[in-house]
Amino acid sequence: MLGKLALAGIKNRRRDYLVLLAGLTMSAAIFYMFANLATNRAFIKANAVVSQASLIFGFGAVLLILITVVYIMYANSFLLSMRQHDYGLFMMLGATRKRVGELVFLETLILGAIATAIGIGLGLLMSKFLVGFLLNMLGLHLAHLSAVYVPAIIATAVLYVGLFILASLFNLIRLTRTTVLKLLHSDEQANQPKVKPFRQLIQGTLGIVFLAIGYWALAAIKTLQMTAIPLALVTITLGTYLLFRATILVIIRGLRHTAWAKKHLNGFLLGQLNFRVHNYTRMLTIVSLLFAMALGAITVGSGYHKQLPMMAKTLGTYSIAIHDKTPAEQKLMDQLHVAYTATYTQKRQGKTVYYNADELAKQPVEQQRYKKSGQPEAHLYTQSLKAFKKSGTQDMNFMALALGKVGAYTPKILSAEQFAKQTGKTVTVTTIRVKDLQQDMKPLKQLNKLENQRFTPPTNMTVGSYQGYEMMNAFFGGLEFMGYFLGIAFLAMLASCLMFKILSGAPGDQRRYRMLYKVGVRQNLMRWGIAKEIGILFLIPGIMGVIDVLFGLQMFKPLMVAPMSPYLGIGSTFLIFIGLYVIYYLITLALYWRIVLPKTTTD
Amino acid sequence: MTTATTVVDVHGLEKTYGKANERQYKALKDINFSVAEGEFVGIMGASGSGKTTLLNMLSTLDTPTKGDVIVNGHDVTKMRGNQLADFRAQEVGFIFQDFNLLESLTAEENIGLPLALKGTASKVMDQAIHEVAETLSIADLLQKYPAELSGGQKQRVAAARAIVHHPSILMGDEPTGALDSTSARELLDLLTTINQKQAMSVLLVTHDPFSASFCQRILFIKDGQIGSELKRGSQDRAAFYQQILNELGTFNE
Repeated sequence: MLGKLALAGIKNRRRDYLVLLAGLTMSAAIFYMFANLATNRAFIKANAVVSQASLIFGFGAVLLILITVVYIMYANSFLLSMRQHDYGLFMMLGATRKRVGELVFLETLILGAIATAIGIGLGLLMSKFLVGFLLNMLGLHLAHLSAVYVPAIIATAVLYVGLFILASLFNLIRLTRTTVLKLLHSDEQANQPKVKPFRQLIQGTLGIVFLAIGYWALAAIKTLQMTAIPLALVTITLGTYLLFRATILVIIRGLRHTAWAKKHLNGFLLGQLNFRVHNYTRMLTIVSLLFAMALGAITVGSGYHKQLPMMAKTLGTYSIAIHDKTPAEQKLMDQLHVAYTATYTQKRQGKTVYYNADELAKQPVEQQRYKKSGQPEAHLYTQSLKAFKKSGTQDMNFMALALGKVGAYTPKILSAEQFAKQTGKTVTVTTIRVKDLQQDMKPLKQLNKLENQRFTPPTNMTVGSYQGYEMMNAFFGGLEFMGYFLGIAFLAMLASCLMFKILSGAPGDQRRYRMLYKVGVRQNLMRWGIAKEIGILFLIPGIMGVIDVLFGLQMFKPLMVAPMSPYLGIGSTFLIFIGLYVIYYLITLALYWRIVLPKTTTD
Repeated sequence: MTTATTVVDVHGLEKTYGKANERQYKALKDINFSVAEGEFVGIMGASGSGKTTLLNMLSTLDTPTKGDVIVNGHDVTKMRGNQLADFRAQEVGFIFQDFNLLESLTAEENIGLPLALKGTASKVMDQAIHEVAETLSIADLLQKYPAELSGGQKQRVAAARAIVHHPSILMGDEPTGALDSTSARELLDLLTTINQKQAMSVLLVTHDPFSASFCQRILFIKDGQIGSELKRGSQDRAAFYQQILNELGTFNE
């Protein structure tokens, strides 16, 4: 009978349950995808060429587990906040604590099991399609990646079911310890945090000191090595928490005494925030860290994505060199956005490759300057034939046009007459420099493939910047992918965390807005009030997260050497990320409105 | 009685629950009455008699099926959306059985809410709040949160919120229902004072004869209809109380 009642209670709130279930399912799916990558040793070995990458993966896994724990905690409290009134009612009707306890335990566990099962299924599908899609979009290829990986399935199932058992036990203890009356009136209790100026001041100062240590640790990753990341994680978490504790309440208190607070619903808004923020400090801290990690990961990912072609540009004076072009290749070449092109005739004899001086004079070879540090500069120049003969023939880019191993052929420049007389195998080579590698990626890829089919490429070097790009892509692709992947995963989880925490306060607010409605507050004013309140709860971790990222990107300086920089082009990445965050905000807001706003009276 | 001094005028009010094709229930049947300015009127009836439904109609929380409700010259049955909200905010003061205070706000902020909604300047607001707090002797409670107040104190704060913006009528829905007898008596005395000193009309819905005895006129409602009416006239409260008890004795038979 009680089981039936419980089921009826769930049916009545099926939309809320659907939200809960969807969130948990997503979380399990994301965890599976990550576990699939992180536990797959063959995959990591094949792709994590940079030593820090496997370290990042390790930390990623630990973070994701921590976040999952917090996430389930919030989801669970949302569940409990929805159910405790019903449980109280059952007890009032005479159900024994033991019976209700069983009910609570089973409900939580069943919900968890369903979410885990669907989540793993969804994770499998997502691994298959989403990861493929992401790789395709980024133009990457990662070896040893398969959608179905049994150890990952087991890891996800064990973690989630384990956590749900813990959550059930937690609910059980909480319910059996609270009195029936408290359960029935659970949403009517109020605690008003006190402000203690001296303690607040110390907290604030300590918070800033911790944050400073954390930011410094990230910047000094070269000297601190392995210890930098855990040190930064601990200090930034502590710092953010203390800073939030110290400042937010004081600011709200300050605002409450202004004339602004006495207009419309502003006072109510501040009262609500004051009421909440203390409870929310921990959650806001976690969310701000998640925000930072998600944004940081995506920024680094897109940094590599955007900057690899830029870096590759300096790896060759021309993008691609085609020998004895075929009609098919000509067609592809016509698609390119050419910045500079030149065609030379080569004659090969023994260990020497001969060039026609007339051709070289008409179409001088573009060369690259080097900085004092030995770094190539993006700036290109050409020389007169005379000067070119002296030094230019030793240029790697020019040497590479001869094919074969570097140094296998010595280039020699002959006058037009001598060149005509020279015997040997005649080959024409066309060099093309495109305006933007990224733009012509597709035809370049095909051209390179065709060229490599006909001529064995030199084994120890790349010819042209496109091949340079391919090499770097293979090298940094794992990092780029991980950046995007972790970024999206963290964002999804952080937003759901925030959503659940906020939504778990909704049933209590229902009553408050009902009162406001009775007192005669316009519907629109209430809508705006809610939008502002939730907006602020989204904004605080957002701002802190952005600051964290701006400092945290220092960490990637050693991995993104000039001309790359972790800070380059972050504007557009930030905008896209913030756009996604705003969408989450709007979804939360819509859900909140639906739960909280009183229905206008009609019959 | 429809003169300029009428605050509430109800004509042929009916309320039917349930859709046309379902089993219908008539909660109110052809209710007619009016309240003059400055009058203290009580509506009495057992639970289920329709008195709360009636109050909800008067306060625009619910819409009638038929009939007119005119409050201070506004026909509330014709209002929609924001008009209704504004009407409640400006013309009506409410006291509820369960106080309906916002626990996230201090007493002062709770009282100031109706003024804040109007956009009153903060200085004017402070003055109004302190005036009303003096009247209800809650000046020393203003900085406290509802959770720190007793039931009687909460209800006085709620009463302050109900009259701070000088509404044309004060409506109470069993305002003493959750109070002990001392607090209840204090509140009713306060309501009487407000009624007399500020000439504010009061409409009190109750099933408690003691509360009702503070009124000048009582309408008895039974099964959705007004059955009888009692006037206090020049009798003292104790005599009126006795009269109400007698009336209830015959009315409920």
